This record gives sequence, C-alpha cells and structure tokens, in this order.
Amino acid sequence: MLDNLLKIKFKNTSRGRITDKISKIVFMSATILSASFIFVIAGIIFIRGVVPFTTDNLGVGRVSLFHFLTGDVWLIGETFASNLYSIGFIILSTLFITLLSLAISFPVGVLTALFIAKIAPKPIAKILRIVIETLASIPSIVFGLFGAGVILKLVYDFSSSIGYQSKGGNSILSVVIVLALMTIPTITTISEVAIRSVDPAIEQGSLALGASKTQTNFKVVLSSAKSGIFTAAILGIGRSLGEATAVSLVAGGRRSGLSFDLLDTTSTLTTIMLEGLKETTGIDYDIRFSVGLVLMVVILLTNLMLNAIKRRVGVVHVKE
Amino acid sequence: MSKNKRRKTYDTLLNGITYFASSISFITLLAILIFIFGKGYKLLNIDLIAENFESQGYVADLYDYARLCNCESDIAFDEGVYYSSKWGIALADQIDLLGKNVIQIIYVNPKSPLFEIRDKGIGNEPIELRDEYHIIRIAFDNYPTALSRYGAENMINYLNANDELREIEFQTKGGGIKGSIITTLYLIALTLIIALPIGIGAAIYLNEYAPNNKFTKFLRSLIETLTGVPSIIYGLMGLAIFVPITTKLTNATGGNIISGAMTLAVILLPVIIRTTEESLKVIPDDYRQASLALGASKTQTTFKVVLPSSVPGILTATLLAIGRIIGESAALVFAIGTSIKDQVSLTGKSTSLAVHIWAMMTDEPANIELSATIAIIIVLIVVILNILIKLISSRYLKRKLGISI
Amino acid sequence: MTLTNEKAFHINQLNLYYGNKLALDNIDIDIYQKQVTALIGPSGCGKSTFLRTLNRMNDLISNCHVNGKILYNENDIYSSDSDVIDLRRRIGMVFQKPNPFPMSIYDNVAYGLRCQGVKDKAVLQKAVKKALVDAALYEEVKDRLKESALSLSGGQQQRLCIARAIAMSPDVILMDEPTSALDPIATAKIEDLINDLKKDYTIIIVTHNMQQALRVSDYTAFFLLGEIVEYGLTSELFSHPKNPKTEDYITGRFG
Repeated sequence: MLDNLLKIKFKNTSRGRITDKISKIVFMSATILSASFIFVIAGIIFIRGVVPFTTDNLGVGRVSLFHFLTGDVWLIGETFASNLYSIGFIILSTLFITLLSLAISFPVGVLTALFIAKIAPKPIAKILRIVIETLASIPSIVFGLFGAGVILKLVYDFSSSIGYQSKGGNSILSVVIVLALMTIPTITTISEVAIRSVDPAIEQGSLALGASKTQTNFKVVLSSAKSGIFTAAILGIGRSLGEATAVSLVAGGRRSGLSFDLLDTTSTLTTIMLEGLKETTGIDYDIRFSVGLVLMVVILLTNLMLNAIKRRVGVVHVKE
Repeated sequence: MSKNKRRKTYDTLLNGITYFASSISFITLLAILIFIFGKGYKLLNIDLIAENFESQGYVADLYDYARLCNCESDIAFDEGVYYSSKWGIALADQIDLLGKNVIQIIYVNPKSPLFEIRDKGIGNEPIELRDEYHIIRIAFDNYPTALSRYGAENMINYLNANDELREIEFQTKGGGIKGSIITTLYLIALTLIIALPIGIGAAIYLNEYAPNNKFTKFLRSLIETLTGVPSIIYGLMGLAIFVPITTKLTNATGGNIISGAMTLAVILLPVIIRTTEESLKVIPDDYRQASLALGASKTQTTFKVVLPSSVPGILTATLLAIGRIIGESAALVFAIGTSIKDQVSLTGKSTSLAVHIWAMMTDEPANIELSATIAIIIVLIVVILNILIKLISSRYLKRKLGISI
Repeated sequence: MTLTNEKAFHINQLNLYYGNKLALDNIDIDIYQKQVTALIGPSGCGKSTFLRTLNRMNDLISNCHVNGKILYNENDIYSSDSDVIDLRRRIGMVFQKPNPFPMSIYDNVAYGLRCQGVKDKAVLQKAVKKALVDAALYEEVKDRLKESALSLSGGQQQRLCIARAIAMSPDVILMDEPTSALDPIATAKIEDLINDLKKDYTIIIVTHNMQQALRVSDYTAFFLLGEIVEYGLTSELFSHPKNPKTEDYITGRFG
C-alpha cells in the first residue's frame, strides 16, 4: 500500500524496544541516585560526626559523648587543643528559641492566612499574597542582614532604655524576632491552603445555626483546617531549627553557660557550627560534624514527636 | 439587643486582630526594602559590578615631560574639598567602606600633570589616576612626605609648596563585587548542568515509568525527606564528600566552584523533580496514547511528545533553582568557602554573592553598606524570577484552557 | 455489497481482567478484512476495552491481564515474541476525543513516520500530503500546514488524527467513538470518510450511536456485560436481531 507506493522503509522496531529498556534504566538510575543522597548525607555526617568521640583527635584526647551532650561550655579559652567541647546548653537554647519564635510566628501566620482567605477584601488579599510570596522568596542571608542592621539596633535601644547593657543587641530576643519573621511566610502559605480547602458545607452549617461570619471563621474554619495548620507549624519549626547564616549574625556567639535571659547573647546548634569557621582546623573542624549529627537527630525527633501529636489532633474535614 | 451588640464588638475585635497580624508581614517587607535600599543605594552602580573587591595599590612617578598646569577650575567644590590649581587635582577626606580615614581624589583636571604618570612597579607602564582612587602618600624631593593620615588639606598644601614630586602612592577604590558575581554565574550554570538532567530524568521515571508499588513509594519518600534537611547539613556533606573529590581530581586545594555546584545540585534535586513531575502530570494521557498507537516507542513518546509539553514546568523548575542558588548561603559557606576573590576559576577559591554578604557581616567591622547593596541585587533578581514564574504559569494555563474545546 | 471472508483478526476465548474483575468474558469473534465492523453496546459493556486489546493499548494499564488468543494475520499478538511497536504501526487508532499533538499540522502527520526513522523530506512531504488527501482534510489545511494543529476545529482535528493514523499506512484502523465529541456536520464528514477508507483499510469502530453503526458498518457486534451477545451482518442484526437483548438495545429499551 502506501509504504510500497512511496517506498518508505520502516526501520527494525527491535531497536525501539532496546532504547526503551536503556532509557528506562537511565531514568531509573537518576531516581535512585536522587533518592540515595539522603543516605549519603546521613551516612557521611554520622561517620565524620563520631570521629571526635572515637579517636584521640591527633593527641588532644577523646571527647566524652556524655560531657558533649550535657556540658555547658563549648570550649574553654581560645585554644583549639582541647577536647572539652560540649553543647548541652546549646541544645536547650536552640529548642527554647525555636519555641519562642513559633509562639510569635504561628499565631501571626495563621491569622494572616485567615485574613487572606476569608476576611480581607479581594484587592487587599491579592496584594498581601504577593507580599507573603516575596517575603518567602527573600533569602535568609538578607533576613540576617536586616536583623544585624535593624533588629539589633532596636533590641539594643530597648535594652538600654530599661537599663540593661546588651552586647550590641545580639541576643535571644533578636534571634527569636528574625526567625519569627522568616517563618511567618511559610506558616501563612501552608495555613492558607488548609483554610481554603475547608468544605464550604461546614461553614454554611455554622452560618445556618446563626453564628456570625467571624465566629464561623474562628471557631469552625480554623478547627476544620487544624491538620494543615499543624503541618505549617511543623515546617516552621523545621525551618527555625535549621536556619544558620541569618541567626549567626544576631546571636552573639555565646560559648558557655545556659541562659534563658531574652537580652543575653546565645548560640544555636547552627551558629556554633559557623562560629570561627574561617580560621580553624583539626578537632575544632571535626566537632562541627558532631554538632550537625546532633542537629539532625534533634530535627528527626522533633518531627516524629510533632507528627505523632498531629495524628492525635483528630478528625479533619478537608475537601480533596 | 445588648447581647447582639457585644457580639458585634467581639467580632470587630477578632477581625481587627487578623488585620494587625497581616500588617506585620507587610511592615516586615517594607522595612527590609527600605533598609537595604537606604543603606545600599549609594554604592549601587555599574562600577560596583565591574570593580574588584580588593583594592589595588600602585606606586607611580611623573614622566619627565609632565609640566605643572596651573589650571584654575571653574567647578564649585563642596566644603571639605581642597583643590590645587598648580597640580590640577582636588582631594577630600573620606571614610572608606572599612571605616578607615582616607584621602579620596574628587577631581583631576584634564590638563593636570598627574595624568602623565607611570607605574614604578612593573615595566614602567603608563597608568591613569582616576576619581575615587585613594591617595596614600606623595613623596617629594627634599620635603616631608604628605601622608594620608595628615588629611587632604595638608596634602594640597604640600603639593602647592612643590614643583616636582618623587613618587605618588595610591590605591583603587575596591569594594567591587565582580568576582562574586562571576562566581555566582558559574555556580548557576554548573549546578543546572548537573541537576537538571538528573532531576528531569528522575521526574520522568517517577511519572512515566515507575510501577505503582512500594519501592516507588519508598523512593519518593526518600526524595521528599531531602527537602527537610537544613542547608547547613548539605554544606557539611559537600565539605566531606565533594570537596575531597574535587581536590583529588583537579588542582583545587579546598572548597571550589565545582564542589559548591555539586552540593547545590543535591539541594535542588527535590525541587526540580517535584516541579517537573507536576508539569508531567498535567500532560493529557491522550498525547501519550496517540503517540504509542502510532507505533512510536516509549522513549520516542517521552522525548518527542511528553518533554516538549512540559517545557513550562521545566522552565519554572530552572527559575526556582536559580533563585535558590543565588540566595543560598549556609551550604556554600562549607562547600565553597568564604574567601572573596577577584580572580575566579572553577577550581580556585572564590565565593557567591550571598556568602559575600555573610563573610563581610562576620568580619570586624561589618560592612553593612556593601552588604545592603548586594542584598538589593539579590532581592531584585529574586523578585524578577518570581514574576517570570508567574508569567509562565499564567500563559501556560491560558494555553491549556485554549486546548480544551 | 461484496463480502470477503478473509479474516483480519481471529479471536478465540479471549478473557480480560482488571485486577480480579472480569471485563471481557470468553470472546470469540472473527473480524474481516476491508470491512467496517461496528462494536455497539451500553457504557461499560467492554466494547472499548475489546478494541484496545487489538493493538495492545491495554498494556498501559498496570493491573490488566489478558488470556486467550488474538490472531492477527495468523500471528498471536499476545505471544511473547510479538512486537508491540510493529503491531501498533500496522494497526492505527483514532480516539474518542481528538488528540492532536501540540505541534504543527504537518508535524502531527509526519510524527509516526519520523518515529520510524523516515528522514527524507521529499518522502515525508508526499506521505503527509497523501494522508491528508485521503483523510479529506488537505484542501482545508494546505495553506497552513505549519500552523498549530490546535488551531483546527474539533472535526478537523479528528480528521487530522485519522490522517496521522493512515500516514503510517496501517492495515487496520481502530476508532473509539470517533465522533462522540463532534457536532452533526463534522460527524457526517467523518462517516463519509469512513465509507471512503474501507476500500483500503479494515476499520473497527466503537460507537454509541446505533444510527451511525447502521450507516457506516458492514458487520456489527453487540456487547453486553463483557460478552458478545450477537455478531453478524449489520443489515441482518438491525432488521432481524436473533437475541431479545439485542432487540431491546437497538430499539432503545435500555442503554
């Protein structure tokens, strides 16, 4: 027929089957490679992180794991020739800071989301959504710069006004504010999605019972969206725990002593990894992997705990 | 009635709280923008982008044929600017980016003998004395040397008192970000070259080939988990794996652009995979079936029909990736290092714009002005990328709607 | 009407399962060359599923299993050494909704040939023109072959899909409710086209429209709940249905 008429030569189709097999293998390898990096990361951080506890660190001596996890002095003096590293106080201050910043960003983020989704007039909601998107895309180093240039000054002035001599504003309070500002967009975006996907029938049910629009929003809509809002909080906590450069510019680099004083300097697991990074070697370098390992464990445990709580939060009415 | 009123007051109060909460984001964005533009706009010009970060020092002397000009200037100089009509040069005291007192050249008359100078260092090359350079000292024969620490007025007086000069030491302004811009561009290109093929390949596998079984779910959850890993941890991985690999295979001695790009590629894989897969998902199955029914192989279907239709998604993934590369700091602090360099090579030490900010802010004294200027550049690029992503998705949606008859 | 007895397909005890669900139950049917065979029946009766077994498009559904025999030109298309790609080249398919690729009209028609490695521009041009002429579309699009296929009307798009299929010079064209998304005028054009095409091709068409089956087909198979209730010459099946269920269906008492 046509192929004879036009003398079209069809190629041997077995080649197609072979290329199909090859391309499947290539694409699959890309996937397995991508997926395997989580093991690579966990593996290498673990292998490097345990070195200070298992070797004598080129003569400095083995670091005691117990002391590392419970002590309250990062390193005595300026010498790196010591095995007396500990981060017990830093773990606690990291958790304290994360909790405080969530205490600000969570209500602000959720209320902003509610405002955008249900309360604001359309043009305002539209502008606000752009504002949130822009904030979300501003890199953390810019937040850090803003913190160092503005928040530090505000906190310093505030502390001076109450007769407190803060170290240039470097403090728990500054870190908390910077982290809160950074996590608000994350929490807002995810909460808004959750609020929008609440089944309108539930809202109408509430309105039909004589509840006002506001009552419905606060009582019915928020509680129906609680699963999604909880997810937002989990992601916000994750971002706070892992944030490094921005925090390092406003924390003040505390090296010893646990302090929950809002105007006192502090360190977090991430800032201590960056502390004095530019001029260091040996154990002082290796120990950062140990801190990284602790950070990963802290994030993992926090996530497991929060997800367990989330499952307990109960029924959710989310439209698919 | 009163109950109703109380309810209304209560409702207004609650609504008011949401207005207040929302205003925080608005104020934050505004404050950030005002801060970086207020601090950084002064330095924002083309020179900044073309200029080296390290200032270059020169020692020069006059050519024999250079003659005093005795040229009066009709320019009205500001207060604090001193002009020598004999030498045709105007100087002023300034504080540089690092807070040091310097004497800056404000103006050089075109007829000034100081245009006729040569580099005493190498090869006696003629060199140019430009505005904004800093003069460190001017030495005369049989006369005390004019040093920058005695101020501009003193230097002009010394100049006026002499007809010859033995040598003049000055330095270029510096504080430019050329090296970090080039490094950032290299990082973007190299990271995309590494991450896009792997990411797109993985997305194709997951959407087009993967059977719906436990193993696929497992792979997906592993990739999803990567998004929760903080970037500083990626940095440690880059430091522990990619830096040694690159130093073994190339002449690099420490963190370098290649190790930085490899680390960024790992960070970006989940983003690229997810975004590409989203765009593959919306391609109608009709296309695939039509292609297969025509006797095309699966590979042909993927490359000729599926991939071309997912171009907007892949483009979005690319733009998201670029934004992330430009903004990333914590991972790069470890994976590429913090040394700000003007000479950039793939295996040499240099750093990206974001790390440039971090490096300057952790130095003593912190250079907030230049940091703010870089921040302006970063934020502008990020905003432009956001707008582009919006445009792509809205045009794409329009076309999609056009398809459905 | 001349009826040949040369078989295009010989189907023997075909069963098809989606998971554990039996979707085609013991199908025995012979389909004749250069004839139009219509598959009719209510929604979910298995007629489209059956159509898709003929070019193995059901392979794309992961939990779909087939047993039994489908002989096409004496070869079992479900045997392990059967070449799916080659099979689909010989058996073209037109879908329910027009689904041209988001490419130019020309590229749509040339797509299949290019996939087979045909690179010669002159050959491609000839083949594309012939396919468009045969699909009665050439006159309407000859001045805008480089334009997007998506700019065509629904009816034109469907004829383009037919052209795309016949460009591969298949032996058989499967049509899965090809006019269900089209208006009556576009439908009439497609039906005319089917009448023209049957001198060169074996056509199997799934249709919801009894009038259409009557107008275009030589043979009709009536499917119900995964079984073939009745199969025979269209003229006989519609005028003297042997099975009361067939009669109920064609007279509109259900479905």
